[in-house]
Amino acid sequence: MQNNQGKLLVAGLVILLVILHQDIWFWESHEPVFGFMPVALLWHAGISVAASITWFIATKIAWPVFEESTPAESTDAAEEYGS
Amino acid sequence: MTQLIIISIYLCLLLFLGLFAGKLFRGTSKDYMLASHSIGPFMLLMSLFGTTMTAFALVGSTGEAYKIGAGVYGLLASSSGIIHSLCFFVLGVKLWDLGRKYGYTTQIQYFRDRLESDKIGVILFPILVGLVIPYLLIGVMASGTVINSITEGAFETAFAKHDYGIPPWLGSLVISIVVLIYVFFGGMRGTAMANTAQTIVFMILGLITFVVISSKLGGMAAATQQVVEKNPSKMMRAVHPQDEKSFKGKYAQWERLAEFNFAKGAKLVALTPDQIKAAMAAYKGPNLPHKAILAQANYAAAEKLFALSVKQQNLARLQQDDRIYDEASIPTTLIDHEILVTYKREAGADAKGASNNKMIQSKIGHPDKFIDGDKEKGKYWTRKKAKGVYRATSWSPDKPHSMNPWKFLTYFFVPLSVGMFPHLFQHWLTAKSANSFKLAVVAHPVFIMIVWVPCVLLGVWMTSAINPATGGSLIAPHFPPNAVLPAAVKALTPDAMAGLLTAGILAAIMSSLDSQFLCVGTMFTTDIVTHYSKPGKYSDKQLIVIARIFIIGIVAVTYLFSLFEPRRVFTLGVWCFSGFSSLFPLVFASLYWRRLTKAGAYAAVIAAGGSWLYLFRDSGYASNPEYDFLGVMPVATMTVLSTFSMIVVSLVTKPPSDTTLKKFFKDVGS
Repeated sequence: MQNNQGKLLVAGLVILLVILHQDIWFWESHEPVFGFMPVALLWHAGISVAASITWFIATKIAWPVFEESTPAESTDAAEEYGS
Repeated sequence: MTQLIIISIYLCLLLFLGLFAGKLFRGTSKDYMLASHSIGPFMLLMSLFGTTMTAFALVGSTGEAYKIGAGVYGLLASSSGIIHSLCFFVLGVKLWDLGRKYGYTTQIQYFRDRLESDKIGVILFPILVGLVIPYLLIGVMASGTVINSITEGAFETAFAKHDYGIPPWLGSLVISIVVLIYVFFGGMRGTAMANTAQTIVFMILGLITFVVISSKLGGMAAATQQVVEKNPSKMMRAVHPQDEKSFKGKYAQWERLAEFNFAKGAKLVALTPDQIKAAMAAYKGPNLPHKAILAQANYAAAEKLFALSVKQQNLARLQQDDRIYDEASIPTTLIDHEILVTYKREAGADAKGASNNKMIQSKIGHPDKFIDGDKEKGKYWTRKKAKGVYRATSWSPDKPHSMNPWKFLTYFFVPLSVGMFPHLFQHWLTAKSANSFKLAVVAHPVFIMIVWVPCVLLGVWMTSAINPATGGSLIAPHFPPNAVLPAAVKALTPDAMAGLLTAGILAAIMSSLDSQFLCVGTMFTTDIVTHYSKPGKYSDKQLIVIARIFIIGIVAVTYLFSLFEPRRVFTLGVWCFSGFSSLFPLVFASLYWRRLTKAGAYAAVIAAGGSWLYLFRDSGYASNPEYDFLGVMPVATMTVLSTFSMIVVSLVTKPPSDTTLKKFFKDVGS
């Protein structure tokens, strides 16, 4: 997959996560899931896992490529632009 | 005492680690500040995670879940999982590349270069340092509270005023000194090593705490069931009808109490011994410490033994709730709970109220000793418990309220702050290679989940938990949110384990403080001292000394602030993060928008700083945790204002030079 297509896919997944995050459909649910877990907490824990998966995909298909360069010594912008 | 010994051993081990890292120190300021760009994926993950997870994540999340329920995870944890990694990905990796290419150590160096402006540093430096101070304050303040809560009763006679435990001021001071020492000896390498070790410590001990506490509460299902039965609204983000009904009943009871106390004080009513007996016989409520007075208030109201004017009824409510009011402007209509809470509560009213109450005073003493040596009477109360009893028996009950979906959505702006945290910028630059970021980007959201889910569950359980030792509520109403986690640990775990768990909480706090300490020193030497002095004027050794002196100065200022009236860790944290978030558009545009100009950057910084100051003041300097602006989080307004100012001003001012564009954007023709 091209890097640009990968970036678009990752951007789409992030937008999806943001939409899923706004779970107004669970706003009034108070019954626990598995007998102990508030649904408001379980859903968002799931969002955290989904976020990790999204970022894993990002590292595979949208990771930026850098040119090899020699690290520079510390610079001081004042030398260039004066004070 | 056991807890104190364990905490002391932990702090000594940490100092030893700092000294060991000092042995690896290469003697240059670059090694001191950036560990010579040698940090690999695992240590980068642990140090970035340890730095972002502070007292806010442990003490703050538990306290806030206790106050507002399970929805707190969605407010900041799941959104942070998305946004933090996004920032590492779109900002961190790119800034690391630029930092390596052009030798930057601080954000200001980068902005000066990218914006072709020296003065941008002059305006950014005080703002960034000014915003780091409340962040430091969260850690310094929370460490004092945690140490004091957990060491209650450790001394036989010393520190009686602090419940025979380490006073918060001393706890905060010791933690600050320990972190200063290992940062001074170890520099960035020591900080990264200590962060890694401490992050492992607090994650493992956090999970152990969770397992131990949940088993003490009868298991996870039993603990949650208590909440479903007693406080169902804490399980959701709306108000459950049961809680609405319960609040109405409790508030009506409290109004009767307020009016009875007022009438008694004004000598409008006095019950005869027979009436008191009849009142007690008629009382059907719970067995509370003030049930006698509640019974009399109910009896007097039912028998209509006195009548108050509307003004007197309002005065009764304001006085009972320790609110500050001007008698000349008391409303002529009856005030309800919503209006009542708009009056500011008198600072320290709980301490004053507890000291004026003879029943409460007679029970204060060493928490490990029995009252009058009589086992039947139970153990003496701590001053904290006495204040808690006063608050629970005098103040109006908290009204349950739902979470506003718009406010919930705009919380998304808060984690954008990591894009502008100066200490994270410095951590990014320590990476050995761009690939070192991958593990941090992927694992960060799950790591947040591992820490936050148990903390939020604990906070929710504490709203309804029963103390197995006493059979009463484990955490009383109006309990200070910052103290919920240590109080739960103290009450539900054996001494040795409580000591270890406290070490875990302190590890989380210190793993953020260290990076922030180091970062403010680096910024001062790089952006002010070296920048405004002739090249070569200061040797590396001198620069390190100057950095250390500045760090001590900032820590001293923070420490002094921590001695004032404490704020909720969560609220203070959100304000601090909001300030950094409002500067996010600047760093993002600097990397991705060629048209960003120097004047546009100034406009963004001024709009962000100005709106933050205005709104922070309007919120009563973080004293109002419910504060919003136009129904959304203030950070949304601040970020929109700074973005708008930046875009408009950039578009009407001269674009950056071709030389600068070629330097920062690879697709600009060479």
